[in-house]
Amino acid sequence: MAYSFPEEVLEHVFSFIGSDRDRNAVSLVCKSWYEIERWCRRRVFVGNCYAVSPAAVVRRFPEVRSVELKGKPHFADFNLVPEGWGGYVSPWITTLARAYPWLEEIRLKRMVVTDESLELIARSFKNFKVLVLSSCEGFSTDGLAAVAANCRNLRELDLRESEVEDMSGHWLSHFPDSYTSLVSLNISCLGSEVSFSALERLVSRCPDLRSLRLNRTVPLDRLANLLRRAPQLAELGTGVYSAELRSDDFSNLVGALAGCRELRSLSGFWDVVPAYLPAVYPLCSGLTSLNLSYATIQSSELTKLISQCHSLQRLWVLDYIEDSGLEALAACCKDLRELRVFPSEPFNREGNVSLTEQGLVSVSEGCSKLQSVLYFCRQMSNAALLTIARNRPNMTRFRLCIIEPRCPDYITHEPLDTGFGAIVQHCKDLQRLSLSGLLTDRVFEYIGTYAKKLEMLSVAFAGDSDLGLHHVLSGCDSLRKLEIRDCPFGDKALLANAAKLETMRSLWMSSCSVSFGACKLLGQKMPRLNVEVIDERGHPDSRPESCPVEKLYIYRTVAGPRFDMPDFVWTMDEDSALRPS
Amino acid sequence: RTRRGDLNTDLRLGLSIVSPDAQKDNWIGPSVSKQREQRQDWPPIKSLLRTTLAVAGKADTNVHNVHNNDNSDRRRTSLFVKVYMEGVPIGRKLDLLTLHNYDDLISTLAHMFTTSITCPNGDRADHAKSLHVLTYEDREGDWMMVGDVPWEMFMTTVKRLKITRADRC
Repeated sequence: MAYSFPEEVLEHVFSFIGSDRDRNAVSLVCKSWYEIERWCRRRVFVGNCYAVSPAAVVRRFPEVRSVELKGKPHFADFNLVPEGWGGYVSPWITTLARAYPWLEEIRLKRMVVTDESLELIARSFKNFKVLVLSSCEGFSTDGLAAVAANCRNLRELDLRESEVEDMSGHWLSHFPDSYTSLVSLNISCLGSEVSFSALERLVSRCPDLRSLRLNRTVPLDRLANLLRRAPQLAELGTGVYSAELRSDDFSNLVGALAGCRELRSLSGFWDVVPAYLPAVYPLCSGLTSLNLSYATIQSSELTKLISQCHSLQRLWVLDYIEDSGLEALAACCKDLRELRVFPSEPFNREGNVSLTEQGLVSVSEGCSKLQSVLYFCRQMSNAALLTIARNRPNMTRFRLCIIEPRCPDYITHEPLDTGFGAIVQHCKDLQRLSLSGLLTDRVFEYIGTYAKKLEMLSVAFAGDSDLGLHHVLSGCDSLRKLEIRDCPFGDKALLANAAKLETMRSLWMSSCSVSFGACKLLGQKMPRLNVEVIDERGHPDSRPESCPVEKLYIYRTVAGPRFDMPDFVWTMDEDSALRPS
Repeated sequence: RTRRGDLNTDLRLGLSIVSPDAQKDNWIGPSVSKQREQRQDWPPIKSLLRTTLAVAGKADTNVHNVHNNDNSDRRRTSLFVKVYMEGVPIGRKLDLLTLHNYDDLISTLAHMFTTSITCPNGDRADHAKSLHVLTYEDREGDWMMVGDVPWEMFMTTVKRLKITRADRC
C-alpha cells in the first residue's frame, strides 16, 4: 500500500528546508518530489556563473525570489586574472528580468556589471529588496542612480569592494523623498564624494537603517550629525577618521557615538588619528566585530582599543598590532572566532614591525573559540604550527601567508611540511586552507591523508613534483576549489585525476608546468569540463605542444563552452580544435 | 586598465617558463628582486588595501615613525595634485585618492578639461585621434609620460600633471 501526501503538505514540509544541499537531495528522491521541490525553491546559488545557463535555471525553478552568482576565479582578487576574462552578468539579468518579475534579491561576486544591467534591474523587479555587488566592476554611479530612483522597496544596497566609476552625478539624491525602507547601505568602496545633505536626509527618513558603511570622503566632523539621526544603527563604517576637530566637535562626536547603543560592528577608520579613538571607547564592551584594516596606527593605540572589547568575535587589523597587541587580544577577548592580520608593508622584504608567529600562537592559546584565521607574517616555524594545531583543533579556516615565498622554518631551516601536516591532522573539520613558506611534496601527502573535510585549498610556490598535486586530487574527498600558482605541477597528476575534476567546482593553475598538449587531451576526454587556457603570449599553436600554458582554469559545467571569451582565452574542445573568440 | 605589455606581465612570464628544477633555487634572482616591489599579484592582498598601503607607505613619512610617540600621527586624507593644460594659464587640482587606475584618471581629466586624451595603454594608432597626451612631473623633477609604471607606484611619485598637445610629443 502506498501512501502519498498531497502536494500541499509536501510543499509545506519542504518550506522548512533551506540549505541548497538538502534541497538538492530532496529533489533526487523521486520525480514527483523533484517537481514539487522545483516549484517551491525560492533561492538559487550558482557558484560559477558559467556552470549552468540562465535559461536552464529559470526553466527548472520558475518561482525564485533570490539569486546569488559568482563569476571570476578567486585569484582575480590578486590581479592574476587578466582584464576582460569574463564573468559578465548581463545575460543573466536579461533572463531573470523576463522570468522572475517578483525577484527580490540579487547577490553578485566578482562579476562584470554594466549600468544597463542595473537599469534593467531597476525597471524589472517591482518588489526588489536586496542588491549586493561584492568585488564587482564595470558600472558607474549612473547605474546606482537608476536603482535608487526606481526600487521603492529596496532594503539593502551593498557595494563592498566593487570598483565604481564616478560620473559626477548625485546618485544618492535619486532616492525619492517617499523612500523610507533602507536597512543597509555600504558605499565604503566609493572613491568619490557623495552628496552629504542627501545622505543626511536619507538617513533621517529611514527608521529601519541598521547598517551604514560610509566612504572615506565623509568627513569626521559631519559624522556626529549623521549618527544622531540613526541611533538604532548596529553596524557603522566611519569615513575618514581625521579632521581638525575643535573640542566641542569632539564631545559632540563622543555623545553621538555613545547614543548608538545597538552598535555591534565598527569599520572604516581611514587615516585614523589616535587622539580621536577614545570617542569609540564607550562602545567597546558591546562590539562583536571590529575592522581596523586601514588603521595605520601603532600597537599601543590598537591595544588600548582592543583590550576593552570583551565581546569581540571578529577582528581585522594590520600587523601594527604586533605580538604584544595579540597577547592582549588573547587575554581580553575570549569570545574571538575570527582573526585577520594584514601586512602593513607588503612590498618590503624586511618588515618594520614586531609581528611574528608568536602573536598567532598567543591567540590560539587564549581564544578557545578561534575558528578562522588569516595571518600575514614574515617568519614561521613547524613548532609554532604544531602548537597552534594542538591548541585549536576546532579551526575551520586557516590561511597563512608568509610574505617571502619559499621561506623555511626560521629555526630549523627545514620545510614547513610537518607544521601544516599538524594543522590538517588535528583540525579535523578544516574547510579552508592556504599554504605558504617552503613546502615539499610531503605536505601534500599529509593534506591528502588527513584533510578529508577540506573544501578549498590555495597553494603558491610549493611542492616538488606532480606527486604533490596527485596527493591532493586523490585524497581530499570534499575538495571543491583548488587554486595553484607557481608550482612545479604538470600533466601527469592532472590527467590521472581527470574524473576528480568533475566533482569539484573549479581548478586554477597559473605559472605551473601543464603543457598545452595535456590541456587539449583533458578537454577531449572530459566533455563536462570546460578546460580554458589563458595565455597572453598569443595563440598556443604558435608554440610547441609541450610548452606549458600560462594559466589554466578548469570547471565543471552543464552549459558547454562559453562564447564570451577574450582573444587570450581558449576552450579545449572535444574535437580539439581551438575555438576562436 | 589592461596590464598587458607592462613590466609585471614580463615578470610573470619570466618566472612561468622557468623549468621546475630552476624554480627550486632562490627564485628571486638579482635582476628580478628590484622589480619585486612592483609585483601586482604577491602577496595576496586585495587592491583596495594594496593601494591604501602603497600610498600610506611612501607618500607619508610619518608611517615610518609609527614607533615614535612625538607629534602628529596625521595621515594623508587626500592627494591633491595640480593639473595644467597647455595653453591654459589657470590650472585645476585633482585628488588622486579618489581614482582607482589610469582609466579613471584619463576619463576624469578628459571631463574636466573637455578634450580627448590618449589612453596610456591604448594603441599608438589612437594617438592620432586624441588632441592631447598626459604627462607628469616625478619626484626627481623629470617630465614623463603617464602610464608606464603601475598605478600605485605612479601615485607615490607624481608631483603634478600636464596635459600636452599630442602633436608636440
